[in-house]
Amino acid sequence: MATDTAAPQIDVAPPRGWRTWFTQENIITTIVGLIVAVAVIVPLIALVINSFLVLDDLGFDTEWGLQNYREVFQGRVIRKALINTAIISTGCTILATLLGVSLAWINARTNCPFREKLEPFNLIPFFLSPFVGAIAWHNLASPKVGLLNNMAKSIFGISFPLFNVNNLWGVIWVTGIFFAPLVYLFVVGSLRRMDPSLEDSARTTGAGLFRTTMTITLPLVTPAILSGAIIVFVTTAGEFGVPFKLSAPFGWETLTTQIFTKAVGDDANHYLGAAMSMVVGVVTAFFIWVQHRIIAPRSYTTVTGKGFRPNLIDLGGWKWLAFTYNMLYVCVAVFLPIICLFFVSLHKIWSGRIIWSELTFWNYQKVLFFWWPESIQAATNGIINSFILAFGGASIAMVVAIIVSYMIHRTKGFGARLLDFLSVIPIGFPGIVLAMGVLVTYIRTPIYATLWILLLGYITRFFPYGQRNISSIMMAVSEELDQSSRMAGASWLTTLRRITIPLLKPGIFAGWILLFVIFLRELSISIILYSAGTETLSVGVYYLSNFENEPMTSALSIAQTVALLICIVIFRKVAGKEALTA
Amino acid sequence: MSDNNYLQVNHLVKYFGDDRAVDGISFGIPEGKFLTLLGPSGCGKTTTLMCIAGLHKPDAGEIRIGSDPVTSIEKRINTAPEKRNIGMVFQSYAIWPHMDVTQNVAYPLEIRNMAQSEIDDRVAEALKIVGLTDMADKNATQLSGGQQQRAALARAMVFRPRLLLFDEPLSNLDLKLREQMRVELKRIQHEIGITSIYVTHDQAEALVMSDEIIVMSKGHIEQTGGPHNIYARPVNQFVSNFIGVANLTEGRIVGNGGGGTGTIEISQGGENVQLPCLLADGLSEGDEAYLSVRPENVDASREPMDGPRIEGEVIQSVFLGNCLDCRVKWGEFEWKVLAHSRERLRVGEKVYVRLDPDHTLAVKP
Ligand SMILES: Nc1ncnc2c1ncn2[C@@H]1O[C@H](COP(=O)(O)OP(=O)(O)OP(=O)(O)O)[C@@H](O)[C@H]1O
Ligand SMILES: [Mg+2]
Repeated sequence: MATDTAAPQIDVAPPRGWRTWFTQENIITTIVGLIVAVAVIVPLIALVINSFLVLDDLGFDTEWGLQNYREVFQGRVIRKALINTAIISTGCTILATLLGVSLAWINARTNCPFREKLEPFNLIPFFLSPFVGAIAWHNLASPKVGLLNNMAKSIFGISFPLFNVNNLWGVIWVTGIFFAPLVYLFVVGSLRRMDPSLEDSARTTGAGLFRTTMTITLPLVTPAILSGAIIVFVTTAGEFGVPFKLSAPFGWETLTTQIFTKAVGDDANHYLGAAMSMVVGVVTAFFIWVQHRIIAPRSYTTVTGKGFRPNLIDLGGWKWLAFTYNMLYVCVAVFLPIICLFFVSLHKIWSGRIIWSELTFWNYQKVLFFWWPESIQAATNGIINSFILAFGGASIAMVVAIIVSYMIHRTKGFGARLLDFLSVIPIGFPGIVLAMGVLVTYIRTPIYATLWILLLGYITRFFPYGQRNISSIMMAVSEELDQSSRMAGASWLTTLRRITIPLLKPGIFAGWILLFVIFLRELSISIILYSAGTETLSVGVYYLSNFENEPMTSALSIAQTVALLICIVIFRKVAGKEALTA
Repeated sequence: MSDNNYLQVNHLVKYFGDDRAVDGISFGIPEGKFLTLLGPSGCGKTTTLMCIAGLHKPDAGEIRIGSDPVTSIEKRINTAPEKRNIGMVFQSYAIWPHMDVTQNVAYPLEIRNMAQSEIDDRVAEALKIVGLTDMADKNATQLSGGQQQRAALARAMVFRPRLLLFDEPLSNLDLKLREQMRVELKRIQHEIGITSIYVTHDQAEALVMSDEIIVMSKGHIEQTGGPHNIYARPVNQFVSNFIGVANLTEGRIVGNGGGGTGTIEISQGGENVQLPCLLADGLSEGDEAYLSVRPENVDASREPMDGPRIEGEVIQSVFLGNCLDCRVKWGEFEWKVLAHSRERLRVGEKVYVRLDPDHTLAVKP
């Protein structure tokens, strides 16, 4: 036959270096890869550089030095803020983990009544704004205007304030109940997919129910618990709104509130702000690295897929205690804050008690009616800007997420690994830290003081969330589906449009709505990067809280909460029940 | 000679990192024929196919279809996969789950901007050939494995490609369906007369379906030939071992009788035996070689036969009706024998083994 087996041995070296190869695929993915790299890396580099620049006493010139870091660790105010941040993060992590694990266990593994009904409510705080939660709890439990304190006074005659959230405990309380769903999400999935025979075999050896739970169940979900706890720690360390509202005005500053004062305001010092951001960022990035590299790979693969329906533990009479516990959580995290805000928003002046004869919707007119000359600009601007940013940001971020996921999973080599790495980095840095980097990078460019800089900050910080949504689907979808489209004669772009993207649709929708929610409530990036005219919804809330009064603040908070709640309903419709569980 | 080939691959090299997945292979296939790339897992079959499809870019070599050079690294040509007009059936079938069967099959035609009426005709025709006419409106997820297979084939051939590529298309099916689909695939290929390249690691599949088989290992070609040729005249130890069952033992060529015949000497436990054999190309006196003989060409009996004597002990004997499947221990070596003997050989008996000289081969190591 016409085949020459004895082909002459040819010497071709393995390919090295870049080959110029202009295809649709290479051009587009390279451009996006470069943009992502620049967007992620440049602000961090700028942050590092600026943190070593020291502003002189006159505030005009800078020189290189370590003075900023000395200030962070030795300066009286900032060092105290650093310690407060550590206390809050630790306290919140403990509280959120206790809440999250116990609630997850009750919902996934016991016969607690109505648990299917309670599950979505347990997750609501995940979607709401913790800043708004802090405002609500301020009105519920601050010494003077706290509704609970005043009710205690009028009903039980308790004359001293029963609760006081205007301190570190208050911050721990509010962040703890708001971040508990993060732990819950990690743990509940793990518990649900656990192979029941693991527990059954412990029971057959004679271990009791309690013993089995403690020695088998909990250790098996430990990696999930640790992952959740780390995420909570990092999120709290970067949380700005809650300490800003609850504790900072009463002398309990945190690093984030300090960064804020150094970014804007009268004694702005970006260099010192950059140094503080570096301190927060190094710690959080380290923890995220630990989570990714050490804890996540260790999660036991008890996940054997379908078919398993873990045994539910019969709690007997205790099940009503479990139910009450869960209801209490939902009350303090969801119902109580929202109801309180609603009542506050109906008063012209809030004095800590509901005055039924004076209820009015006037505040809503002030903050919502953007066509009305007497409306408050910061609030109405915020609404419009936030919807623009949420819509545009979620859309662009999802496009980036799709292309990045595509590159990670469908192309090989250095670029793919680099992007995989790049899309973890933003998760390691709190919004306020990344925003500080974006600020010092772009402050002298035309995009400063426009919506574009906010958009850039949002997308850079949050596209990894969308990317993870897409990646999990892309890993499950065979590459051969794409390849067979190429073989059928479709170009790379056509294949992307007609095969790849339609297959990813559920993930794209879910990711889009998730980002929409995140952007609609975003505060810590916005607060650093906004300027007059580019306020966002949460910045509007901040403005009202700072310069107007509690009722007006509450009105805008309620408006934001309603928008977020609508998104949650849509999210559950599109993404299905288990979309979020890790 | 290679000008007659419809597809011609020359000196193809593909690296993954520093590994040579494909190590400078060359082959060709005349129009309308069915060629199989056969080899163990990881030998580079898929990689070769992907290079032909244009889904991988080789690091050296050229590929020509008809008179169209689709890949030539030297001339910096590498046609995009969608421009090659090649149909491909994947191992996972890759039926798009968000489209129904008709949409799947019509897709290549839509890409080519055909008129709707022609698309309908062609899709109906393709579905008829693969026997899926009744399934036209079903969603991909509702199809069984065999049906998905047929749909994938319909989609790959509906646009009348120049070449059909198959990457282990039957390996996900159960044994019975696989045997049925082998015949079916071959029938369809013959019916539409399309030049095809088929990748598999299943030698039975290759023997049944192919006009021509290329046996590969570690990125290079071990042997090329028709199914009968590959089975009856393996050229080396690897092919002989990979295809079918063979008695293989080390030896040395001690005589060359001309006309491709010769003598091989094998030894066990101090005993040397010289056997007449057919020499593989390129073997000459004094060379190290392997003796290769299929069990059906070995006989065993209690009485000594003419010719070289190999005396051993029966260590296993299974009656199969038409013959006896025995193992005969000779020194350290165990002969696999399908004995035609009417006598029942029993375990422990001393017997004489005889090899059919017309089917005793000396192959390269
Ligand atoms: N994308 C890739 N990246 C790195 N190495 C690869 C890649 N694809 C294949 N290889 C390597 O190249 C070699 C040949 O792979 P190939 O897929 O061609 O084998 P195969 O003959 O098709 O095997 P199988 O029968 O298992 O499908 C293997 O060693 C494999 O590990
Ligand atoms: Mg393969």
